[in-house]
Amino acid sequence: MNLLTLPLRTLRRKAMRTALLTVVFAAGICSVVALNYVSKAVGDSMEKKLTAYGANILLQPKVDTLAVGYGGFSLGNVSVDVKSLTREQVDKVRTIELHERIAAVAPKFIALTEVKGQHAAIIGVDWPEELMIKNYWGFEGKTPEAPGEVLVGSRAAATLGLKVGDRFGVQGRDFTVSGLLTPTGSEDDNVLFAGIEDLQAAMGKPGQIHFAEVAALCSGCPIDEIVTQIQQKIPDVDIVAMQKIVKARMYTVHFVQHLALIVSVILLLTACFMIALSLLASVNERKHEIGVLRSLGYSRGSVFSIFCLEALAIGMGAGVAGFLGGFGVSHSVMDMLELGKEATMHMEWWHLGVTLAGVAVISCLSSVIPAWKAANTDPSQALVML
Amino acid sequence: MLQAVNVSKSYGDTLVLDDVSVQVGKGEFVCVVGRSGSGKSSLLNVLSTLTRPDSGHVLYQGENVTAMGEGRINRLRHKDFSIIFQLHHLLPYLTALENVMVPFMNTLRPIGQEIRDKAAECLERVGLGGKGNRLPGNLSGGEQQRVAIARALVKSPEVLFADEPTGSLDKRNGDGIVELLRDLHTEGVSLVMVTHDMGYARLAQRTVVMEDGRVVDGEEVECVTHPKDAVAGEIITQA
Repeated sequence: MNLLTLPLRTLRRKAMRTALLTVVFAAGICSVVALNYVSKAVGDSMEKKLTAYGANILLQPKVDTLAVGYGGFSLGNVSVDVKSLTREQVDKVRTIELHERIAAVAPKFIALTEVKGQHAAIIGVDWPEELMIKNYWGFEGKTPEAPGEVLVGSRAAATLGLKVGDRFGVQGRDFTVSGLLTPTGSEDDNVLFAGIEDLQAAMGKPGQIHFAEVAALCSGCPIDEIVTQIQQKIPDVDIVAMQKIVKARMYTVHFVQHLALIVSVILLLTACFMIALSLLASVNERKHEIGVLRSLGYSRGSVFSIFCLEALAIGMGAGVAGFLGGFGVSHSVMDMLELGKEATMHMEWWHLGVTLAGVAVISCLSSVIPAWKAANTDPSQALVML
Repeated sequence: MLQAVNVSKSYGDTLVLDDVSVQVGKGEFVCVVGRSGSGKSSLLNVLSTLTRPDSGHVLYQGENVTAMGEGRINRLRHKDFSIIFQLHHLLPYLTALENVMVPFMNTLRPIGQEIRDKAAECLERVGLGGKGNRLPGNLSGGEQQRVAIARALVKSPEVLFADEPTGSLDKRNGDGIVELLRDLHTEGVSLVMVTHDMGYARLAQRTVVMEDGRVVDGEEVECVTHPKDAVAGEIITQA
């Protein structure tokens, strides 16, 4: 038996009040935990979906243009001294300080050639990187695995009469159709995709890259900083950040997070006021008890602690229940929103620790005014009031 | 041992103690009597450090209690002084034995076996040896007051203050409580008791009579039988 006995016995004696307070507080914590988990999951999911819409940084060789016109006839701007990117330049993107924020670097080599006697555009791609950026692609067949395998856009397949398993030659090199893209509504429908090294070899231009797409999106991603760092690594390359898309993505992610934060703060403030009001009522109700304790030699600190510990005990109970409840609720909500496959959640014990620490601070803060009032109760007045 | 010197105290515009001087010797049994509102309980509160006087001071073993800091006063209340109230003021959610141990629950350090044994011994002493596990609600008024006395005893106080300890009890229970307090006094505990009952007051070594916040008699040990002040005589007669 010690100082803890008094608040714990009080809570047990007022079981109904304790239970109600714990349930309401736990509901608040449950909402906060669920909101945070769901907002994080929604953010992750949104990020994945947004990333799937394409890259957000474009690397292209520097091009000088010349306005050509003579005798009143204008040819417009003509590109001169066109260079191409090299693999080394593209690979430097992954060496920047913020390299962990780079999701994919997808180089492209474009070849205009003939396939089955018809003009066609073949895009050489780095399959793993390309499939990461274009994860919205649907296939008939399978993704290319072996050298010489290609994917064919839906419209190009119809025009060229290509089916899965068909073979064709480009500049004397054989290619096999491993899959057909389902219609995307984009330029991808009109072209063929081959392994970049196969195509470069077929066209006799090994190592040449026409442009590269970089996907660098994540919550709170400092996109401007990434562009600056890439520019510093490869200064002789034009880097275009698609700011509009990036800003829209960031705004959406931040909006969800801010909304969750505001709702969480409101819920926690409500819980704080609820505990404070309940304890204030308890202090008024137990004035004589406080007077007796003070007359027995309890210090102001001891009396203060009794009410703080009472709030803390409720907080801890509500914290554990609220966290577990919140975790369960967030799972249900994610299932309802069909986000379960896109964002996985794991029970992290340190999350529970952080939640309990936060709840402990909130509980103690909310008990400060009632506990202070109790500690400063004049014992003689408290006993006279009876 | 304990002395109030020219003590005055008021609550708002109401003066409840007016230049009161009283002293209690070591091992002395002093009764404070007077009409309702005469300032008896206020005097007890000042002497027992429950409240500080507006002017004047209280001396305990030569030290000025009025000038003591909060910590020293808490230690006095915890070790040297014990107070018994008219209403027992037991904590309803603790058993009788736990109520007796309450003075030692003021820290996070668990109560040791020594304190438990002493608390059980005190309960035994007040005649409640077999009722330690009962909640106050399951005890009679007299038994509850006995638990309160055991709670006061467990600290082995130097001075025991009793504010109308028989006020809410019938005659039989009241007599038992006063008998118990007298026993404690004979063991050397100084006893200051506020009472309306002149029968109990006659048992004291000295009686202090109060009227309108002032001591009107109390310098002589036998003031109850031979009041030197006419007002005191009237109060004693009416009581």
